Amino acid sequence: MIVAEQKSLEEIRRMITPYQRVLIVGCGTCMTVCDAGGEREVSFLHSALRLAQAKTGDSQHSFSEHTVKRQCDPEFIDLIADKIAEVDAVLSLGCGIGVQAIAERFPDMPVFPGVNTSFMGMAKELGVWDERCAGCGDCRLEETAGICPITRCTKGILNGPCAGTKNGKCEVSKDMDCAWVLIYRRLERLQQLDKMRRYYPPRNYRAVPRPKRIVSKVGTAAGESNG
Amino acid sequence: MYSPTLDNTQRYRGDKTSASSPDHSLIPPCQVACPLHMDIREYVDLAAQGRIMEALQVIREGNPFPSICAYVCTHACESSCRRGQVDEPVAIRALKRFAVEFGGDRMVRAEAETTQVEKVAIVGSGPAGMACAYYLRKLGYPVTIFEAQSEIGGMLRVGIPQYRLPREVLDTEAQRLTQMGIEIRTSTRVVSLDLLFEMSYKAIFITIGAHQSLRLGIEGEDLPGVIDGATFLREVNLGLKPTLGKRVAVVGGGNVAIDAARTALRLGTQKVSILYRRSRAEMPADPSEIEQALEEGIEILFLAAPVRIERRKGKLSVTCIKMELGEPDSRGRRQPVPIKDSEFNTEVEALITAIGQAPQAPQDFRLRIGRGSTIQVDPVTLTTNRPGVFAGGDAVTGPATVTEALAAGRLAASRIDDYLRHRYPLAGKDTHRVLEGELSAETVEMIRKIGRLEPPVLSREVRTSDFKPIELAYDWATAVNEARRCLRCGVGAEITSQDRCASCLTCLRVCPYHVPRLDASGTIQIPIDQCLACGICVAECPAKVIVLRKPYERRHIAEELNHALRSAAEAKLKPFIVGFCCQYGLFGTGTLAALWREAKAGIWIVPVLCIAKVEADHILRAFELGAEGVFIAGCGTQCARENTAASIRQRVAKVKKTLAQIGVEPERIQAFVLEAEQDPGKELDEFIAQVGKLYLASTLMEEVRR
Repeated sequence: MIVAEQKSLEEIRRMITPYQRVLIVGCGTCMTVCDAGGEREVSFLHSALRLAQAKTGDSQHSFSEHTVKRQCDPEFIDLIADKIAEVDAVLSLGCGIGVQAIAERFPDMPVFPGVNTSFMGMAKELGVWDERCAGCGDCRLEETAGICPITRCTKGILNGPCAGTKNGKCEVSKDMDCAWVLIYRRLERLQQLDKMRRYYPPRNYRAVPRPKRIVSKVGTAAGESNG
Repeated sequence: MYSPTLDNTQRYRGDKTSASSPDHSLIPPCQVACPLHMDIREYVDLAAQGRIMEALQVIREGNPFPSICAYVCTHACESSCRRGQVDEPVAIRALKRFAVEFGGDRMVRAEAETTQVEKVAIVGSGPAGMACAYYLRKLGYPVTIFEAQSEIGGMLRVGIPQYRLPREVLDTEAQRLTQMGIEIRTSTRVVSLDLLFEMSYKAIFITIGAHQSLRLGIEGEDLPGVIDGATFLREVNLGLKPTLGKRVAVVGGGNVAIDAARTALRLGTQKVSILYRRSRAEMPADPSEIEQALEEGIEILFLAAPVRIERRKGKLSVTCIKMELGEPDSRGRRQPVPIKDSEFNTEVEALITAIGQAPQAPQDFRLRIGRGSTIQVDPVTLTTNRPGVFAGGDAVTGPATVTEALAAGRLAASRIDDYLRHRYPLAGKDTHRVLEGELSAETVEMIRKIGRLEPPVLSREVRTSDFKPIELAYDWATAVNEARRCLRCGVGAEITSQDRCASCLTCLRVCPYHVPRLDASGTIQIPIDQCLACGICVAECPAKVIVLRKPYERRHIAEELNHALRSAAEAKLKPFIVGFCCQYGLFGTGTLAALWREAKAGIWIVPVLCIAKVEADHILRAFELGAEGVFIAGCGTQCARENTAASIRQRVAKVKKTLAQIGVEPERIQAFVLEAEQDPGKELDEFIAQVGKLYLASTLMEEVRR
């Protein structure tokens, strides 16, 4: 799941300043799950913006809100085309993808991000999310016992641990586990410690061109008219 | 069986079930068990909020004579109460008594108009007859009650002792019937139904009760000094004082036996013994009655039965035999078997037999009689073999409870109405499902255990000297706390749209009872038989797809907030502060009002049914509409849940963070968790002073700016 957190009210208010009618658009998938832009957060932000306006008296926006099922597919966005037609700007509480999807679909409409899209991760417990995947496009989890050194090691090194490991923790923070100690322990449990003996050559980041595209459809060229 | 005929389908609080706001609540086990299917959950909930008059209103909707049931109901509801799976059932009957005593039942005037011409005769004025008369009169029929005794009430009058049902209560209800325009003809024994038809009654309801005591069938039963329980109680209840002597034995194990024994004690008998042929476990009398009888010093000889009575020197010599329990009979009760050569003698001055009663319909009524001398009726139409003649109550069922009789009377009224209006009787339609299933062990474990609070009773010494009612009403605080123990079965959370549910698992993680779960397909389910309607998931669900099953609960806070703000617009006191206060218990018992009165600022209380239901949005809205400060006050150890405040503190922190960005000081919001013995005024004063300072500072700033 994509994890994000809502931007500060100040930043949001600054972005929308020039626009009178603003539609706040929530997203019913990842942003709902990570508590950043689901229906509840949309209505909370809506109330907060109205309240801010009432308190400061410095603006005259009119707000509306709607939460779509998923912002990263144009078909879902089309369902609110009429609502978008009635406003001067869209404040999207979708992740960065959602913001761009709306912008792409409505070329003349200013679209602003209401959240900072942060990482791909999972819930640790209620209200706590941890990063787990960097989306590097070259998954090596098979070699590292299902623990990703790219995201979970501060340095992202492929042949760890480094000298900064101490009692299983990272030198960056004593609360942070050393990913390579975790990998070692788990390989040990799986009786695959031999994998620790191997040398993994440095990754060739040039081999990962951006923007990436995955094509499963026949007859579409990689990279064609992307972006 | 729950049969929703003529039930309180009209829901209280104006909950009009509509497509946009459907009421998906399930019928709780207490309501199913109640013969009258009263909306118990609703009135207990209102009692828990201290809204006694409204509680009484709900009670009166489902029960024509709540003051009577408040004393003598055998409360089947309590036996099926699911709180019993946690600790002990909610004391529903005692709560009803509280609502009746404090809700102003005496002021209620029953009124009715005559809109129909067909006269209806009711033969017998027991609870079934009274209820039937009440409802027929409400339907507009001219009704006459015929009663053989000098006063109305049937078994309520001549069977139940005064210490269990004060006669003023019965008299009040009788007066109400007269007020409604029901003709009551006492000391009038009906000997012929034909005569009634000749008197132009179009329908007759026979509810003559079961007053004929069953005979022991042993030698000496007709000796002087031997009296049957029904006759004995009737004589005492109609003002006679039979001489019993110093020692009395009562034969039987039902409520009549216990009533007779306790009545004998109150007439001055020194030693009263009950002979019962089975053991205590099989005793059909109400366990609390047995307990009270034992407390009063009545001796119960279990596994003993009389076999012969002889009269010697003015006393009765009763030969008894000891029993042991043998094989269970068809009803599952173990049959007593005499033990050979175990006879023993006991000497008493009087023997009261109370081994059961049967109806005795006069032969001239020409009614078909069935098993146990009961009148046979069609179970749906309640008609007898004679056209226009209906029957109900003990006369049809054999001895049963007051509530069952009331239910029978109510049903009869509806059937007689059907008959007179030439309608085929149709069962009422209630779309509400019945809640089934027990609480799981895991849910039970998570529920805070709170023992049942009993109403006070007169001490043994005081109560046995006369016939004063022995149970007193609850005091206000105890009643409210007892009512709070209700688990509110069947009104829990539901997911309105699985489609919009993001399966984020927030509900699963916030539920204090671990109720939501994932089914095999990975869909979140909130089992209604486990949910206790705390509302935490409703306030937390990021997709806002969870609601409580009663529409009222959904709109409640928003409506109350709007109401408070509308009223506040006219208020002049500053600073204007909105307080979301728990309406249950602590604040429902008048503390709320006290807060209000002593308020040194413009405090407007938004009563909430537990602060766990206050959403972050509600707090923002209060500020948006002009509040200078907001506080949230809930209960500490009094709360039905552990740590309710944790979830609201979380929301308050979030709101504070947002408000800080707009320049609203975090000191303007505070959450209080108060204990019963604590004075909420002090902390509140500090908060008001705090907000007052901020208010002053901001108004000064405003002046400067100008």
